[in-house]
Amino acid sequence: MSDKRWTRRELVKLLAAAPSLLLIRCVPSPQSGEASDYKASEHYWGYAVDTTRCIGCGNCMRACRAENDVSAGFYRTWVERYRVGLDGETQVDVADPETLAFEELSGEVSKAFFIPKLCNHCEKSVCTQVCPVGASIHTPDGVVLVDDKHCIGCGYCVQACPYGSRFIDPHTHTAGKCTLCYHRITKGEEPACVAMCPTGARIFGDLNDPRSKLSTILRQNRYRVLRPEMGTHPKCYYQGLDREVV
Amino acid sequence: MTFVFPNEANVTWTVMIVLYPFITGLVAGAFIVSSLFHVFGKSNLKAVARYSLVSAFVFLLFAPLPLLVHLGHPERAFNIMITPNFSSAMAGFGYIYAAYLLLVLLEIWFSLRSEFIARAKGRGLTAWICRVIMLYNLDEDESTKRADFKITRFLAGLGIPLACLLHGYVGFLFGALKANPWWSTPLMFVIFIFSAIVSGIAVIIFHYFVVSWINGWRVDQVCVRTLAKYLWGFMIVAVSLELLEILSLAYKQTEEWEVLRTLIDQKLFFTYIVLQFLILSLIPFLMLGVASLVKLKDRLAYALIWTASTMLLLQVLLMRWNVVIGGQLLSKSLRGFTNYLPGIWDREGLIVAAIIFTLPFGILYVFHRIIPLFPGAVKVRARTNRQAADTTAGIGN
Amino acid sequence: MNINEKNSKGATPRTSYRHTFRLAVLIIILVLAALLVRQILVPESFGLKGYYRAAAVDEAREFPIRHVGEKACIECHDDIASLHDKDAHAAVPCESCHGPGADHAQAEGETAILIPEGKDPCLACHRPLDARPSAFPQIRWREHYQFVGVKDTSIDCIECHSPHEPLFMDRDIRSARLHPLIHRCQDCHTERFDRDFHRPKSHPAIFECSYCHKEIVEDFSRRAHSEIQCSTCHMFFKESDFAGRIIRDSDPRFCLLCHREADFRSSDAPPGIKWPGHLEDVAMEPGDTKKRCVDCHREMIHKIMERPDSNE
Repeated sequence: MSDKRWTRRELVKLLAAAPSLLLIRCVPSPQSGEASDYKASEHYWGYAVDTTRCIGCGNCMRACRAENDVSAGFYRTWVERYRVGLDGETQVDVADPETLAFEELSGEVSKAFFIPKLCNHCEKSVCTQVCPVGASIHTPDGVVLVDDKHCIGCGYCVQACPYGSRFIDPHTHTAGKCTLCYHRITKGEEPACVAMCPTGARIFGDLNDPRSKLSTILRQNRYRVLRPEMGTHPKCYYQGLDREVV
Repeated sequence: MTFVFPNEANVTWTVMIVLYPFITGLVAGAFIVSSLFHVFGKSNLKAVARYSLVSAFVFLLFAPLPLLVHLGHPERAFNIMITPNFSSAMAGFGYIYAAYLLLVLLEIWFSLRSEFIARAKGRGLTAWICRVIMLYNLDEDESTKRADFKITRFLAGLGIPLACLLHGYVGFLFGALKANPWWSTPLMFVIFIFSAIVSGIAVIIFHYFVVSWINGWRVDQVCVRTLAKYLWGFMIVAVSLELLEILSLAYKQTEEWEVLRTLIDQKLFFTYIVLQFLILSLIPFLMLGVASLVKLKDRLAYALIWTASTMLLLQVLLMRWNVVIGGQLLSKSLRGFTNYLPGIWDREGLIVAAIIFTLPFGILYVFHRIIPLFPGAVKVRARTNRQAADTTAGIGN
Repeated sequence: MNINEKNSKGATPRTSYRHTFRLAVLIIILVLAALLVRQILVPESFGLKGYYRAAAVDEAREFPIRHVGEKACIECHDDIASLHDKDAHAAVPCESCHGPGADHAQAEGETAILIPEGKDPCLACHRPLDARPSAFPQIRWREHYQFVGVKDTSIDCIECHSPHEPLFMDRDIRSARLHPLIHRCQDCHTERFDRDFHRPKSHPAIFECSYCHKEIVEDFSRRAHSEIQCSTCHMFFKESDFAGRIIRDSDPRFCLLCHREADFRSSDAPPGIKWPGHLEDVAMEPGDTKKRCVDCHREMIHKIMERPDSNE
């Protein structure tokens, strides 16, 4: 049995034609327009927590849950309580998942405090680095978002976040995390947790604006970030952070 | 008191993600054995060369299955090839896997071309399948066979780094994750590759003995003893690397060591210390050492080698478990642990895992019906029928 | 196969790759087809602004806002807001007690908003937790009820303390002047002390009212209210580690928090008066908003020392 022999010319013609097919979708699509007058390039959002003011009331958790339809058992923001006993042993706990309230615990403490936690919207976020499909988004205004329609739910970002801010949402089966209430901040509002905090423990603002409350606080006070050795450059700044907090 | 971040209570990467590196490890290991024959000319391994290549392919076909079962959106799985984010180790999976699949497929095509053509010349379904696989080109002579040989050798050689990449990227995926102190080590890439080779050789030995016993074949003594020596050598390297990693952590005692020590002492003591190292590494090491260095009667040697192989298969599976699950039991708050027990009937449970693991053996059997996986196997007794006399040419001696 | 073996004629045998042609073509076609399909399947806005689907950012902006903020509440409830903004709960957002208000605001009041009931909403913030900052008012409600003479424990906090005006402050705390910080024992010590305590010589200085206001404190200790702490009526709000703001609350309704006669009060409660009946009884016109308790009952409190910049 013998083959039909292709002449070299015919073969080259075939191969030359093929790459042109690839050009069909190379023309960029029309711009997805920026709605209204919000210009992402003008802002660079940040967050600060004054840990000396938090009273552990749980309003922030309730507000976030209501604002963002967060599934029960998962948290886009949460509050931790640290109790340092007289023997120097530290106990850490979180609020009850149902009532979002802290239970009263017995035992003498030499020091105790609350630490609100949330996604740090890191400048060099590990979650964005490890997402295999580009579903973790770094917006130009400094917010890290999840593309719910593109995420495949592999869970790599959940493993990669050093702060435990991410989870796989049991309803959407995609990654879930704090969005800094992007739908609010792009309309001039504050995130729900900041707006509902009764003691001003949570502060939100524009790092680009030197006169914003956030910039002023950062200029006037001493602050730290969580796990700076991870090299993630978080944009959530903590005042009064105790050495016990990881 | 133990504390985990509230989002960490559920373990995200389940037994499916333990199974996936185990299966790709079998692939890489089996492929290495096949390449030892095709590239490095270790003719001792001829008896298992074809089987190892085909089993590498079949396991490769099933490797994505645990991942698909695990994904939140398996229907979007191809996003990994449509919009791969190459800063992520996981993004390499799509293209590396496809390339490697193609390579192994081609190598089978070329190395078994004569076999396919021989069967394509008949009638019936099998013949038609073989004709389709050969693309209706049944032309062969000495010159094409020489070409087949050269191409097979080339592909087998190219496949070694590609196999290392296919399995190594999983190790890198874990080892490069700075957030998890149990995973984060530069050694992880190498540990995964070497333990993969161990598992590949072990599964070949395991399966070879089982299949020979079922079919009443004589086991190729030289082949098995060679494999055993390779297994011993590779397992020494693999276990040494695993030990080096943990000893290094234990010596440095950086901030995470407190919680890692508690992880090993409490949560992982049985699976890590007792099983992975003491029972399933030390004992096979001794068994294989004896079988390799001491002149033994075949029957005893085979018993040692087969048992050691089975134990090493379990050791590699446990190593994957201890890495994947162990790392997630540990909280990133460095203050506590969560729990994980795989469900039995869940989507990501033990029954599904068992099915995924045993299916490839079924497919291998189907392949064997078309083209025998162990050519040159000599039947020395009737199929597991003891009464068909243990003839003078019985198993072993 | 030994490919280096010479054939019977002594020449190196040929190698022919002709059988690979169909395979090569097939593979090339498949690869090109795969790349083409990939191009088609890339989502539309992908890669415009970065390695992500730009439309996803726009989608993230489209979620409904559920918490509308005080400015929306003020549009209808400005009377409550003006009281609220001057009193102790000024910094507490409306929706933190009443829940998300978007539906209620949009329906312009046609749909109900959550009205908290019972003691639990108040105690959520005000029950004592050792992790709470000591400057934050934490109430052991049973002891508090005992102290102010409430015998019926089923009554709620809001029976006396309006949630929007919990302390009936007569002026906005933020307009009060700064005052050096008054420390309490609990700020450093965990055990609870009685009000009488020994002051060791080497103990660091703690600001006490008597440090600066010795005459007033001595005078106060001889009068009817000597059991009460200075800071009960002169409310103190800590602003920093060193200073806070202090005012004296002289709104009559503040005094009534303890002194209003009610059937839920016990017999050993502070002397109760009927209100506003009391004003009639002493032949003052009711609704005379300028009259405060202290105008007549100065001798129950303490002498006012003449100071040019006092809060009078």
